[in-house]
Amino acid sequence: MAVQTNTRVLLNKVRGILQFIQKRHRVKTKWAATSPKLSATDLALQNHDVMYNMQLGELWPSVRVGLLTEQKYGALVNNFSCDDTVMYLQSLGCQDFIASSLHMEGSKAADSVIPPYSESLQFDQPIEGTYTDLTRASISPNVKCFVFPKGDISRFKPARPDSCGYLSYYLMDAASVLPVLALNVQKGQSVLDLCAAPGGKTLALLQTQAIRFLWANDWSGSRMSRLQRTLKSCLPSELCSEDNLCITSLDGRKWQEVGENGTFDKVLVDVPCTTDRHSLVEEDNNIFSRSRTKEKQSLPLCQTQLLLSALQAVRVGGEVMYSTCTLSQLQNQCVVEQAMSLAKEELGISAEVVDLQPFTALFQDTFYFAPDMNVGVMVLPHLTANFGPIYFCKLRRLS
Amino acid sequence: MSRICGQQVVRWSLRLSPSLALKSAARAEQNARQFAFACRMLCSHAHESQTSRASAQQHGSELTLRILLDLGFTETQAEQVYEGVTRSLGKRSTTHDTSTITALLALGLNSSSIVKVFDKCPALYTEKGAVVQQRMQNLCKLGLVEGSIQRVISYRPQILTLPAKKVNAAVQYIRTKCLFTAQQMRDILRDSPEVMEEDLKHLELKFQYAYFRMGVKQAEMVKAKLFKVSMEELRCRHCFLERRGFYQTPDKKGQTLIVNPKLKDFLFTPEDVFLSQFAMATKEELDMFRKLIAREDEEKGKMLEYGDIEEDKEEDEGEEDLTDFRRGNMGHMGYERNKRKR
Ligand SMILES: C[S@@+](CC[C@H](N)C(=O)[O-])C[C@H]1O[C@@H](n2cnc3c(N)ncnc32)[C@H](O)[C@@H]1O
Repeated sequence: MAVQTNTRVLLNKVRGILQFIQKRHRVKTKWAATSPKLSATDLALQNHDVMYNMQLGELWPSVRVGLLTEQKYGALVNNFSCDDTVMYLQSLGCQDFIASSLHMEGSKAADSVIPPYSESLQFDQPIEGTYTDLTRASISPNVKCFVFPKGDISRFKPARPDSCGYLSYYLMDAASVLPVLALNVQKGQSVLDLCAAPGGKTLALLQTQAIRFLWANDWSGSRMSRLQRTLKSCLPSELCSEDNLCITSLDGRKWQEVGENGTFDKVLVDVPCTTDRHSLVEEDNNIFSRSRTKEKQSLPLCQTQLLLSALQAVRVGGEVMYSTCTLSQLQNQCVVEQAMSLAKEELGISAEVVDLQPFTALFQDTFYFAPDMNVGVMVLPHLTANFGPIYFCKLRRLS
Repeated sequence: MSRICGQQVVRWSLRLSPSLALKSAARAEQNARQFAFACRMLCSHAHESQTSRASAQQHGSELTLRILLDLGFTETQAEQVYEGVTRSLGKRSTTHDTSTITALLALGLNSSSIVKVFDKCPALYTEKGAVVQQRMQNLCKLGLVEGSIQRVISYRPQILTLPAKKVNAAVQYIRTKCLFTAQQMRDILRDSPEVMEEDLKHLELKFQYAYFRMGVKQAEMVKAKLFKVSMEELRCRHCFLERRGFYQTPDKKGQTLIVNPKLKDFLFTPEDVFLSQFAMATKEELDMFRKLIAREDEEKGKMLEYGDIEEDKEEDEGEEDLTDFRRGNMGHMGYERNKRKR
């Protein structure tokens, strides 16, 4: 405690000096001031331009205009609503992109792009059927997410309570459903959602109706109460009993202190990131504002720590889904690689990356996936399919 | 100015006469007299209204198929014009005469161009010849030289249905609001006569958008034929480039981090060229963007209507400095990115 206060005093002092320097500096710039002070959204755009131009090359302009233009939403159907939501959504002219991908004739779309053999196959011994069929079979039939067809810019109305008082659907980036689907939660499994608030993915997880026990955690108390409100407005209370749902507000980096290590079948770790789309439009509390520079710089570290926690929380043979809503390699592939090597060296936990090619092949018609990804999958924003950015990567714990 | 005008008309008339191929010498003489009169009329500025009225009387031979043929129209052309006249004027009017047609002939338009002119703008049938002549004269005064005036009228005959007063007011408005030079204004009139029919407020908005939001100077606007393109298209193409990272609003000194493409190159060019050479995008993307930006603007407009203009006020309080691209009095037309950030 004493140590903490001491560091705080020290920090304040440092901050004071910094401010002092900045003020002096400011006088100087004022003398030569011509450029207007850049807003945080400007800074975000500048950052994106530099980083993603390098990373995406000639794909960047199309991603850029997607990011700067209204995004598309998906309506996650609440299976617990008493209304016939599916019929309502169909009457609007939209389609459940999951069902339509799964019910596609044969397996033509997907099989052609799958390598004949991949080491990190999800299924131990595929004897019958193609990988695509198996991938299909492993996707929860209960998660339904409706989107307007390509080229249609219609919007969903905000969901209102139905006759039983539950919301009939939940609006979210349709691409956010993918990491949940790809986690393949099976009947009776226990799941940890380490950074859960405000709860879109938690809700999607619960729609599978397969989970025996769900632990939803988020460090931010205020965001966690939002999650609780969301769950309350969508789920019957018996589903939220202590036996099957646990809600906490802990620092996920210190998960090992909780003691629930090596117990979960599946862990979702949807980490805080630079939220690339959001940071271009919202000035308030923007991660690119100068006051949050330090925090921004420490994001990859925090993300790595959170992923390490997830790898510890999952049982051997279980799976971790790491996801972000940034395009940044530093926060995506690099974090995964860093965490995997740290887990091995420091914790003696080895893990492998699960190949998601067969999975993404199913959804190619709906999303624009980044080509040439070595580790994980990326949904790129694009005007014709303006979802994402979403990065996700599945790891299986081996020891 | 007026001297130049006069000379031109004389030249047109001279050039025109043989092509008329009139059958009788008497007719030829009569027409020559008419042309001479037209010339005088177009050149004289002092007694405009008097002379116009006089000429109307002078020209007032009733319009018949015979006369149209005599004036050099082919049979089909004559029938087409005659039908047009009777359709437009109906029975109630008694004033259909040849004066508008002779005025157009005097200007140097041949019979087939005249048929096209009436085709494009049937309203011209109902205009009095004298008035039309007076309007031509006004355009001449505004600086449309030989060649240009014929082209303008062939391209946009509607301009002859606008009262000279209105045209002059529009010219005045554009010049004072947008600070075009006299020469630039003449070029605008020549290249985009349709601006005279546009809502002037719209026009001003388009100018302000190009000037403040895009950092384009007047000379470049004229070259780019800015006023020929709708606000929606301007906005769509500019924002599409901007959001793709290919266009930047210059700072106060007119500087940008990237080299902006020239307005004249990307604005008036066919869509496929725009896509392949400037936007590096597919048609599907542009089509989507067109829909989305239209909705953005529509909603932005609504928001402003409902009184969300405090921000604007604050921003506009400063002097209206034409070099400050970021501060223009843009109304709702699209500098939302800047605004949201402040
Ligand atoms: C991208 S959001 C999660 C979104 C959520 N999964 C959903 O789908 O609605 C990241 C979350 O991580 C939380 N967070 C940040 N640092 C954390 C930490 N150290 N431990 C746990 N959660 C943290 C933030 O409060 C934030 O709600």
